[in-house]
Amino acid sequence: MVLAACGGGSEENSSSGTSGGGGASKTLVVDAVFSLKSADPAHNYEPTGQIVARALYSTLVTFAGDDLTKVVPDLASSWTTSEDGKTYTFTLNPAAKFSDGTPVTSADVVFSLNRVANVKGNPSFLMDGLTVSAPDATTVVVESATVDSAVLGKLANPSLGILNSAKAKAAGATDAADAATTDTAEQALNSESMGSGPYTLASLDLTTEVDFEINADYWGATKPTYTKVVLRNVDAAQQKNNVVTGQSQLALDLSPDQVKDLSGGEVVSNSVPSQYTFYLFTNANPEINQWTANRDFEDAIRYGIDYQSLLELAGEGSRQAAGMIPVQLAGALPDSDSITRDVEKAKASLAASGYDGSPVQVSYPSDLTQNGVSFTDMATRIQANLKEVGINVELQGAPITTVLDLARGGKQQIGLWLWGPDFPDASNYLAFGPGGVVGGKRVNWQPGSDPTIEALMAKALETTDADERVAVYQDYQRELNKGPVMSLIQPAQVFLAASSLKGLTYNLVWTVNLGELS
Amino acid sequence: MVSFIGRRLVAGVLLVVGISFVAFILTNLVPGDPAAAALGQRAIEDPATVAAFRAKYGLDEPLWRQYLIYLGNLVQGDLGTSQQTRRPVGADIAKFLPATAELALAAIVISLVVGLALGIVAAVYRDRFLDSLIRVLSLGGVSVPTFWLALAASVVFSVKLGWLPSTGQLDPGMDRPTDITGMVLVDSLLTGNWETFGSALEHIIMPAVVLAAYTIGMITRFTRASMLEVLGNDYIRAARAKGLPERTVLFRHVLRPALVPIITVTGLALGSLLSGTVLVENIFSWPGMGQYAYKSSLALDLPAVMGVSIVIAVIYVVVNLVVDILYSVIDPRIRQG
Repeated sequence: MVLAACGGGSEENSSSGTSGGGGASKTLVVDAVFSLKSADPAHNYEPTGQIVARALYSTLVTFAGDDLTKVVPDLASSWTTSEDGKTYTFTLNPAAKFSDGTPVTSADVVFSLNRVANVKGNPSFLMDGLTVSAPDATTVVVESATVDSAVLGKLANPSLGILNSAKAKAAGATDAADAATTDTAEQALNSESMGSGPYTLASLDLTTEVDFEINADYWGATKPTYTKVVLRNVDAAQQKNNVVTGQSQLALDLSPDQVKDLSGGEVVSNSVPSQYTFYLFTNANPEINQWTANRDFEDAIRYGIDYQSLLELAGEGSRQAAGMIPVQLAGALPDSDSITRDVEKAKASLAASGYDGSPVQVSYPSDLTQNGVSFTDMATRIQANLKEVGINVELQGAPITTVLDLARGGKQQIGLWLWGPDFPDASNYLAFGPGGVVGGKRVNWQPGSDPTIEALMAKALETTDADERVAVYQDYQRELNKGPVMSLIQPAQVFLAASSLKGLTYNLVWTVNLGELS
Repeated sequence: MVSFIGRRLVAGVLLVVGISFVAFILTNLVPGDPAAAALGQRAIEDPATVAAFRAKYGLDEPLWRQYLIYLGNLVQGDLGTSQQTRRPVGADIAKFLPATAELALAAIVISLVVGLALGIVAAVYRDRFLDSLIRVLSLGGVSVPTFWLALAASVVFSVKLGWLPSTGQLDPGMDRPTDITGMVLVDSLLTGNWETFGSALEHIIMPAVVLAAYTIGMITRFTRASMLEVLGNDYIRAARAKGLPERTVLFRHVLRPALVPIITVTGLALGSLLSGTVLVENIFSWPGMGQYAYKSSLALDLPAVMGVSIVIAVIYVVVNLVVDILYSVIDPRIRQG
């Protein structure tokens, strides 16, 4: 999914800067709708935050471009895995150094990872079951309590970026067990970065703008091109105007419709399936609603939804989600497994359920639009689809914070949501099975209620062979597709960029890597 | 005059305390859990993480105690800590307020200049073509939705004509001037930083005019009506009969008494300007309190929402006080009454 280098052929760079200092100053301006709470890796876990952290902090391992199938070296130049698959031993790259010139040591790695675990921020769960130690200055050992094929993918997450521990401690950081209450470094990390990434933090405003300056002594193989990067919080409606008029070089939040006729000349657009899977679930608890807990009623919904009409809503570049796992991850189902609408089958299932026509509520976050797809529009379309098969749907849109409460309490009759991967591994989607974070708590699909799928979930966790994993995760999703969780679509991630911008790829974890743009 | 101002100030303090109470109750009545809003889908499942969050922001205390603690801190000038930025709310507001004040002041200046001029012209040319045109324009000003006007202005003046930038307060990457007032336009002027001043001026025009559109319409209509009312008085006919030049009649004998309702409407307009900044700042990416308030509301960041509510309440109280004082200066009978 390389997105640029296919525009109008302008050879001049896309900078808006002026010359200065000893060489040319190049400024890159990127527009995004901010979802940003912190520049402190231990507290950062939002999409914009991941862009920021990726630019400021290096991790033990990483992904190159958009390829999530293979981790590649970052601070660790090499690593080995023990025979039992539970211990990872990393050797640090001796060239790795922080932006202030001090070398990155194994003590910095241990401190940073333990701090993430103990500070109890949003990304702390990435460290669940992991212990870190440093037998010597250049070796780091990560031990997992269980066999977990996702460990390397988790370690590539920018939230597990490595801090200069001496500076961080001086600023109030601690990796002690009580770090949740004693760590006071976040404000300092919001004004000064302490990492070894391609850029350093010049200034941060969580609601308006983040400014980066080049890490002139960046030790990595790919040196950053821009001397300055400005990441601005810009309303989606204005992002298109800004790229078209040259006020910015990259827009991240446009819908396929907005860029329909734009490619060519000075700008280039591309739409690819995003990281998000929109899904719908029917509550399995009959006390919440007797119909949604009925398997025939569940089938009536599954076959009553017109998936093509949802794709029309989501625009070009979106795809029907054959299963919950997005197409970019190993284990995704092929398109041939997609559910297709079958009105007659839906009506037959509805009749078998004994449905009496009483209204069932679909609740959804009415204030949320993701990748140009409004939940309200999607819910309205599903309501119309289901009316055609005889299901009386009542829409209950509410602000996301309100609906989240309902969902987490397992009180939604039918929930319409999206899911983005917490880490780039299919195991993240076991959350949807019986007893999982979503399947158990939101759907009320209790453990023990579906032995077939639960056996597959257990097998998926134990399987380490790559090909076998793909097969077992696909089988898991085929079973999931018979249950109360129904995957709908992957909307399109649209990029609109100056045609001269090179190196732009879409990575599911951090969206774009500013250090790779040139 | 001193006792007049004193009475108003005491009333203002009581009003702010009342608003803090109402804002506290309302923000806590909103369905939704601040912890759920702040923590991610995984973090919320960890009881230790949730407990740490609640303890940090005092959400584990009973509601009445939370309010008393808040009030106690408020008296000491402490507005609490934002759950979103994790900074003191007072510091956040101090950072964002100057940008909003700059935008609102620019809008009010534009509104007064344009609104007064159009209102006077409409009154003078009553029931003629110019009057009809101005009335249609002022009706448009008060009825066109701000977000639509903002987007339309961006397409015309930024995309089609390329005259004005549509995002931010300065060109990307440009350094801010030395902080004196916090207002970029003013600070760049005070420090003689002409390049920055030019960029700031370019950036403020479109959001300020869009923000002012509603107020221009309102002031135009009030000025016209007020002028026409005064123009109908006997003493105006007497002034004209004495042979005074029309300009003297208009500006000396008509405008001053006509100003009282205009001052009222300008004071009230500040309210619509402050609420209008939420939309305008979001569309034009203006780094002010409107964006902060909007994001805080979405994130159920109660201390920030409370802080912004109280600051806006204080601004209202102060503006109303100034309006009252101006009344009494223009018409001393009000003070005596």
